[in-house]
Amino acid sequence: MSRQNLLPRTAPFGDGERASLDAVLGAASPTQRAWLAGFLAGLDAAGGQPAAVPAAPPKAAAPLTVIYASESGNSEALAGSVAKLARKQGFKPKVVDFADLDVSTLPKAGKLIAIAATWGEGEPPARAVRAYGELMGEGAPRLDGVEFAVLALGDTSYAEFCAIGKALDARFEALGAKRAAERADLDLDFETPAADWIKGALKALAPAETSDNVVAVDFARAGAGEDDEAEPSREPLVVEVVEHVNLNSSRSDKETIHLALAFEDGAPAYEPGDSLEIFPENDPLLVDEILNASGLSGDEALRRALLAERDITTLSAATIERFVKATGHTDAQTLIDSGEAKAWIEGRHLIDLLETFPAKLTAEHIGTITRPLPPRAYSIASSRKEVGDEVHLAIAAVRYETHGRARSGVASVHVADRIRDGAKLRVRLKPNRHFRLPQDPATDIIMVGPGTGVAPFRAFVQERRAIEAPGRSWLFFGDRHFTHDFLYQLEWQEALEDRSLTQIDVAFSRDQPEKIYVQDRITHHAREVVSWLDGGAYFYVCGDAKNMAKDVRSALVKAYETTKDLSAVDAEAQVAALERSHRYQQDVY
Amino acid sequence: MTDTKRVYETPPTERPITDAEAARAAQLAANEHIKIASGYLRGTLADGLLKHATGAISEDDGQLVKFHGMYLQDDRDLRPERTKKKLDKAYSFMIRLRIAGGVISPKQWMALDHIAVTYAGSALRATTRQTFQYHGVIKSNLKRTMAAIDATLLDTIAACGDVNRNVMAATNPAQVGAHRAAYQLAKDISDSLLPKTSAWREIWLDGERVAGGEEEAEIEPVYGRTYLPRKFKTVVAVPPSNEVDIFAHDLGFIAILDKKNRVTGWNVTVGGGMGMTHGEPDTFPRTADVMGFVEPEDAIKVAEAVMTVQRDWGNRKNRKNARLKYTIERYGLDAFRAEVETRIGKTLGAPKPFAFTGNGDRFGWTEGDDGRHHLTLYVPSGRIKDIEGGAQFLTGLRRIAEVHQGDFRLTANQNVIIANVPAEQRAAIEALVDEHGLTKGAGALRRNSIACVALPTCGLALAESERYLPDLMTELEQSLASHGLAEEEITIRSTGCPNGCARPFIAEIGLVGRGPERYHLYLGAAFDGSRLSKLYREDVAASEIRDTLDPLFADYAKGRQPGEHFGDYLIRAGHVARTTNGPDFHERTGALKPAVQG
Repeated sequence: MSRQNLLPRTAPFGDGERASLDAVLGAASPTQRAWLAGFLAGLDAAGGQPAAVPAAPPKAAAPLTVIYASESGNSEALAGSVAKLARKQGFKPKVVDFADLDVSTLPKAGKLIAIAATWGEGEPPARAVRAYGELMGEGAPRLDGVEFAVLALGDTSYAEFCAIGKALDARFEALGAKRAAERADLDLDFETPAADWIKGALKALAPAETSDNVVAVDFARAGAGEDDEAEPSREPLVVEVVEHVNLNSSRSDKETIHLALAFEDGAPAYEPGDSLEIFPENDPLLVDEILNASGLSGDEALRRALLAERDITTLSAATIERFVKATGHTDAQTLIDSGEAKAWIEGRHLIDLLETFPAKLTAEHIGTITRPLPPRAYSIASSRKEVGDEVHLAIAAVRYETHGRARSGVASVHVADRIRDGAKLRVRLKPNRHFRLPQDPATDIIMVGPGTGVAPFRAFVQERRAIEAPGRSWLFFGDRHFTHDFLYQLEWQEALEDRSLTQIDVAFSRDQPEKIYVQDRITHHAREVVSWLDGGAYFYVCGDAKNMAKDVRSALVKAYETTKDLSAVDAEAQVAALERSHRYQQDVY
Repeated sequence: MTDTKRVYETPPTERPITDAEAARAAQLAANEHIKIASGYLRGTLADGLLKHATGAISEDDGQLVKFHGMYLQDDRDLRPERTKKKLDKAYSFMIRLRIAGGVISPKQWMALDHIAVTYAGSALRATTRQTFQYHGVIKSNLKRTMAAIDATLLDTIAACGDVNRNVMAATNPAQVGAHRAAYQLAKDISDSLLPKTSAWREIWLDGERVAGGEEEAEIEPVYGRTYLPRKFKTVVAVPPSNEVDIFAHDLGFIAILDKKNRVTGWNVTVGGGMGMTHGEPDTFPRTADVMGFVEPEDAIKVAEAVMTVQRDWGNRKNRKNARLKYTIERYGLDAFRAEVETRIGKTLGAPKPFAFTGNGDRFGWTEGDDGRHHLTLYVPSGRIKDIEGGAQFLTGLRRIAEVHQGDFRLTANQNVIIANVPAEQRAAIEALVDEHGLTKGAGALRRNSIACVALPTCGLALAESERYLPDLMTELEQSLASHGLAEEEITIRSTGCPNGCARPFIAEIGLVGRGPERYHLYLGAAFDGSRLSKLYREDVAASEIRDTLDPLFADYAKGRQPGEHFGDYLIRAGHVARTTNGPDFHERTGALKPAVQG
C-alpha cells in the first residue's frame, strides 16, 4: 500500500491540501500520529486556542483500577499508557498485573479498565492464569456498581482471536458491572487504535462534570511534554549483522541462527531478559506469487510495499471477509456462508485464498485485505556487560509444509535465508521486566530453556559472570540430538569451567528410544531442585508455551509433591506461591 | 605401601621395590602412570559419564576406557564446522566386543543387531579380529549399550587396551574336529587371560564393587595393577588356512593334525606384530617366530607364560618399543623360550612341520565332514549395514538370524559365515541371501582385500582407507583384466595409518596412509602371510597408484611361473627386495628397477 493515499478522497479537503497532509501524515510515526490526534482533539475542546495554563485539577481524583493480563508486554505497556493519561485527566489510577490481582478487591474498584492479551489457542497469558480462573469461576464476587471497559489484544492469525478479552467483557457484565465503553478487539497493529480507544474509554468513565476540563488538561500537559518517563525509543534502529551462523550441525534437521547485531551509535540499554524486535521482510518469491495471483505482477511500488510493509501470510476469517468485500467473489462468500471458513483457514495462508478464489485485484484491495507486517520479538541472548554494543539472538528457522505447500516463518526464514554477515536489519528493543535476574547476585537461579529457549539464559550467565555473582546457577537444556543440536555447547563448557554456570543437565529427545525432555530431568533431580528453591532460588522457564512450559510447571509441582510428601493441592500452592513472589518467571512463546 | 613391584626391561630379580621407587627409577611411559593411578581401570570414568556438557571423557580416562573395549572418537568429517557453530567436537565411542573365535548364536546376532539399530547408526562392523564393533555411540547411551551387550552374554572387557585382546580362531567349519579344538583353545585362553577387576561391571552396569581383597594378588592375580606394557594379540590357526594371519600376532598356536584331522598338539608362535611409525626406523612390523611345540594339555599354561614374560620383560618406558616383537628382538628367541620353559616347568618340543596355502576366506557354500553346510558371505570392509539401492546386509542377516538353526562366525578377513546349516535349511538361507542382495563372493582382488576403518572416526588415520579402497580396486581390476589377471588371487590391504589394523605389511599390495590422498605403497609379501612386504614407493598420490602398479601387473602376467604369486614374483624378478623379517624391513627400500610398460 502506498503511503501517498493515506487520506481518502472523501476527506473534506482540496486535492492540494490532501496531498500536503498525506505527505506529513504518511511519513509520521505512530507516536506522532497519536500525538497529533490528541493535539487536534485538545485544540477543539479548548475552543481553538492552545491553553497556555493548565486548568485546575479536579478537586477529588476519581479512583480507576487498570488490570492487565500480559504475555509479551504489550498489554502491560498499554496499561501504563492508560494510567499516565488517566492521571492527567484527574483520575487516581492504580495498575495491577493479573499475576498479583486479588479478585476479591474488584467490587470496590468503582471504575475498571481491563486490558487482556489472548495467547496461543485462546488461552490467558501464563501469569494471568490463576486470577483469570478465579474471575471466571463460581467463587467470583459480584461487581454491581462497577463501571468497566475492556481492551482486547490478539492476533488474527490465531483462530480464537481476542478470546480472553471477549470472555472478560462478558463476564464483568454477567457479574453485574456496567459497561462504560464498547470493547475493542485489536490485532498486532494495535498501537494507533489502542490510543484512540483509551481516550474514548477514559472519557466514558470520567465523572460527567469534569469531562470537559479533562481534555484541556491533557492537551496542555501533553504539549508541554514534561513528566514523560524515559522510555526506549519506539523507532526502529538499523543494525549491522556482524555474525550469522547456523548453530546446528550440518547433519541436523534443525536450523538455529545465531545473530550478532552491532549498533553503530551504541546498543540500547537492554537488560538480560529483554527481547529485541526484528522488522522482517517477506519472501520475495511469495511476494511474486501473491502479485501473480492478483494479476498485479507489474506493480513495482506495490511489490516494494509487500516486501517490507504488509503481512502477506496471515489468513483469518476477517481476511476472507475483506477479500469478499473487495472482490465480491461469490465462491469465497459461499465459504463464509457455509460456516466452513474457519476449518478451511487451518494451515492455509493468504496465497491459498488468492489462488483458490482467483480475482483481479487492485493495489488498494491488497492494502485493505492485508494488515501491516508486524515485527517479531526474540529473547536477547547476550549481556551488554560481555558483548558491549552488540545484541545477540538465537533464531530457529521455522519451516513446514501444509496443504502441499512449503511454508516458512516470515522473520526467522528472512534471517536464515536472506541475511548474511554485513547485512542490515531494522530492530527495536522490547523490554520485559517480568523476566529478570534476582536483585541479589547471591541468589541461586534455575534456568529451564530447551531449544532457543536457552537464549535469555546465555544472557543471564554472561551477566552473572561479568558481575561475578556468587549465586549458583543451574541450566536445563534440551533439543533433539546431543551431537547436532547442542546450542552454544562450547560456551556452556567454558561457563562450567569458570563457574559462571554451576551445573547443566541436558535432555535430547531423539538420542534414545524413549523421548526425554527437560521436565524429565527436573523430575529426576526433584530433590535437588526443591532444595535449591527452598534456599531461595529463582526458577526461570523460556521457550515453547504450548507444551514445554506447562510440562515443566507440572514437573515442578510433582517435585514438591514427592520430595515434601505433599498433596497435589498443597504442592500446587507451593508453585503458585513462587509465582506470586515472582520467583517463578516465564518467557514463553 | 610395601607392595612388591616388578622391575621392567631386565629379567626379573628378587629385589622388591615400591611403586614410587619403580616409577621414578624406571622413567615409565605416561600410560604406565595412568594405569598405576587408575585403581584397576576405574580412573574417573564414573564421574566423567556425569559431565553432560561434553561428549568426551578426560584424556587419562580415554586411555583407560580402551581396557573396557572402547575408544573415544570424533567425526573428523565434521571437525571443520564445529567450532564456528560453537559446538564441541562430534564425540562418540567405538565399542568393540570380545567374541572369542568369532562365534555367536543367532539369538546373540539379533540382539547385537537391535543394539546397532538403537544406538549405533544401524551398522555392525565386522573387524579384522573376528569381532564386532559399534561406531557412533554417544556418551549418554554408553551404559544402556553396555547393559544391552551384557544381556547378550557377551562383553567388551579387554577388547582393546594393554591386555590380551580378543582371541581369534580358525573358522574353517569343514574341518569339524580341528575347528572345535581351535575354538576351544581360543575360548579357554580368552577366559584365563581375562582381567579380573570388577571395574567394568561397576562402571557400566552399576554393579557392586566387589568387597574384600585390596591386594593386587587377589584383584589381578595375572596382570597386576599395570597390566601389560602394550596390546597383546593371540590367535589359533588350523592349516592349511592361515586366515587368522598367525604371523601378524604376538602369540599364536598352529594346530598340528594327524591323518584323521585330529589335533595332536600346537606349534607356538611369538613376536608377530604390524604397527610401526612413519619415519622411525626403530619401529617395524615383524612376523612371528615359531618357538616350539606344545602338547594340548600345556597350551593354556604356555599362553599364560608367554604373556607374563612379556608383562615382566616388555619395555614400559617407550610404548613404541613395547610390543612382544621388540622384546623378542631385544632378548633373542632362545632367552625368551628359556624363560617360558622355566615358568611352565617344562621344555617345549621342536616345531612340527606345517604348511599354509593362503590367508583368505573360502567363499560360498562348503560342506563339513559332519554333513553340515556353511556359507561364507563376502562383506565389503566388514560393514554390515543396509546400503541404499544396494545389498541389505543388516536386514538380510537379521532375517537369516531369525530362522537360522546353526551359528555365525566372523572371519579375520571381515567376512561372515553362516555356519552349521542343516541340509534341509540350505535353500531357505539361500533364498534370504538372494532376496537381500548379499554376496557369496566378489572379484579375486576384492575377495582378498581388507581395509581398516580410518576416516572419519579413527583418530589415528592420516588418510582414507575403507572409503577409498573400493574405488581403487575398481581401477586396479580394470588394469588386471587388461593383462588377463582378473581371476588372479592377490592380497591387497589398506590402512589409514601405519599402526596396521588391516595387517597391510603382509599383503602383496599394501597401502598405508601418509597424508590426505597419499599412501606408502608396499609390495612383495607372501600370499600366505608368512613374509613381510617392502616399501616400494613412498608417498604415492592416490591418483597414481594404478599407473604405478599397472606395469608391474603387465610384467607379472608375462614373466610368472605356474602358480607363482604376485608378491613372490616381484622379488624373483628383482622389482623389490625381500624382507627377511622386522629388522630389515626398512633396508633396501624402493623400486630396484624401473617398471616399464610393455
